[in-house]
Amino acid sequence: MLAMRHISKVYRTELIETHALRDFSLDVASGEFVAVTGPSGSGKTTFLNVAGLLETFDTGSYALDGVDVNDLSDDARSRLRNEKIGFIFQSFNLIPDLDIFDNVDVPLRYRRMKAAERKERITSALDIVGLGSRAHHMPSQLSGGQQQRVAIARAIAGDPKFLLADEPTGNLDSLMARQVMDLLEQINEMGTTIVLVTHDPELARRAHRNVQVIDGQVSDYKPYEARNVPVAATAIA
Amino acid sequence: MVMSDIRPVLSALLRNRTGAILVSLQVAIALAVLVNAIYIVKQRVDLIGRPTGMDVANMFTVVSSGFTQDHDRLATARNDLAWLRAQPGVVAATRTNAIPLSGGGSSTTIGSQPDTPNDKNVAINYFEVDEGGLETFGVKLAAGRNFRAEEIMPPDPNSTKAPPTAIITKSVARALFGSEDAVGKVVYDSLNRPTTIVGVIDHMHGSWVTWDKVDQVALLPVTPSFGGDNLYIVRTAPGLRDETLRKVEEYLSTSDSTRMIRGVRPLEYYRDRSYLSDRNMAIFLVSITALLAGVTALGIFALATFNVSIRTRQIGTRRAIGARRADIVRYFLVENWLVTTGGVLLGVALAFGVGYWLSTQYELPRLDLYYLLAGVLLLWALGQAAAWQPSRRAARISPSVATRTV
Repeated sequence: MLAMRHISKVYRTELIETHALRDFSLDVASGEFVAVTGPSGSGKTTFLNVAGLLETFDTGSYALDGVDVNDLSDDARSRLRNEKIGFIFQSFNLIPDLDIFDNVDVPLRYRRMKAAERKERITSALDIVGLGSRAHHMPSQLSGGQQQRVAIARAIAGDPKFLLADEPTGNLDSLMARQVMDLLEQINEMGTTIVLVTHDPELARRAHRNVQVIDGQVSDYKPYEARNVPVAATAIA
Repeated sequence: MVMSDIRPVLSALLRNRTGAILVSLQVAIALAVLVNAIYIVKQRVDLIGRPTGMDVANMFTVVSSGFTQDHDRLATARNDLAWLRAQPGVVAATRTNAIPLSGGGSSTTIGSQPDTPNDKNVAINYFEVDEGGLETFGVKLAAGRNFRAEEIMPPDPNSTKAPPTAIITKSVARALFGSEDAVGKVVYDSLNRPTTIVGVIDHMHGSWVTWDKVDQVALLPVTPSFGGDNLYIVRTAPGLRDETLRKVEEYLSTSDSTRMIRGVRPLEYYRDRSYLSDRNMAIFLVSITALLAGVTALGIFALATFNVSIRTRQIGTRRAIGARRADIVRYFLVENWLVTTGGVLLGVALAFGVGYWLSTQYELPRLDLYYLLAGVLLLWALGQAAAWQPSRRAARISPSVATRTV
């Protein structure tokens, strides 16, 4: 699903160069649930940005679901993000001026889907996260946990192959955090690959595999070995 | 962009409506003022550019003022006209009592019957000329004939006799006789003195450009009889006016020590002076309109810039979940279009209201719908142009903004 080889990413200012990723290699198999952990400043977010095609990298190669992303145009990267990746952000990143239905609708509109199909997918995704009855509430009318579940619905509505979660429980209390993790596990069991970026070892333990990043490198990198991970059972319609 | 794509943009806009409403109001006021102002400017420009019927570009005036006891005004006029008419480049010259388009002249009323009641009389602006008058003004004779030399009446300070003949404009002919041929018909002045119409001019403007009957003009075969002055109007061949004017001024100033020469000016000078307030009004309105359009564009630009700046995270999120740069540009242009359209809809009603008020208060014609349509298109274009740069800036926001926590 995700194959990164010898990726480096350097942030440059007039005064300093920061090597955020250096010789970074990682494989994630289809259907895996991988937790990427590491201390602050270790390069987790840079990894997330590069893996999610939110930023480019300087050297190395990266293939996402068999697509070499190195030379893709900005539009092609946008299309790939839209079709293959679902994002879950720490701060939920819902659009405050849109109701829940319209928030989940946003990525589907960018995919130029027909209205009927969009409606079906939105309803289904909101049902999965248990918010079907709140479709026309505004984000401000929901709790943090509910908002994160809306963000998850938005991420899965497009039926992506790959979910990238950035500290998805960072802004939630423990009960809500557990509910969100349960939901992510449920989605993974349905066949979606998940990469969870977190600094919380408790959450990381719920993943199939942990990858630790220190100083922009995978500290315990091991090539992927086949293991008994769930196969795609049900596509989320 | 279909209606269903507009809905979420509108929905988001309505939740942050204060700025949008203020800019919409600005657009509405701009449209109402702009459309009516430009319509008034167009009327002024049309007024200034109306055909006068005369060869204005090639005419100039000269005033000869005698200032000694022995100054012979009539002899001077004879000599001056003979000299003027003999000059190369001079097409024609005449002596007259007033300068067309200058704001000063003489008027009277005439009727088609003796003892015509006042309300049936026709007001005319008349010019006393000799047989060279018709050609000097460069007007086109539509019917009848020019004056003959023997018809030209000598000066008559007491106005005891009416001129035997007259040449009138079509406008006067229509007012007096409707569609009948006016040539050969007799008209009567307020003392019931008869005058026979011998010619009809196609079109000519008189002295007062703001008069609604400015084309009700008559030429009378009379030698003017005011003071010691002779007023000449000279018409030259195209392109020779300025050169001839200088030569005429130089010669006449030195040819007779009993008079002074003044008022040597192109007829355009008088026309421009008469239309000065219209021209100034047009310039003022165009300036105000341009200023208003500029302020409106700034308002739209400021709102779009503000909306982009407060939505940096949102834009990054949209980019992260699949929006292309073009989608972001389109979002902000659509949002701006909605704001502008709200203003335009209100502005159309306001423009009609202002137009109606102006038409009733200042007897202006009703607002032309084409101007309204042009104003709407202009403000739409202005709105999109003003929002273009902030929209492009929004599209450059990196999708990685979505993962930043501060």
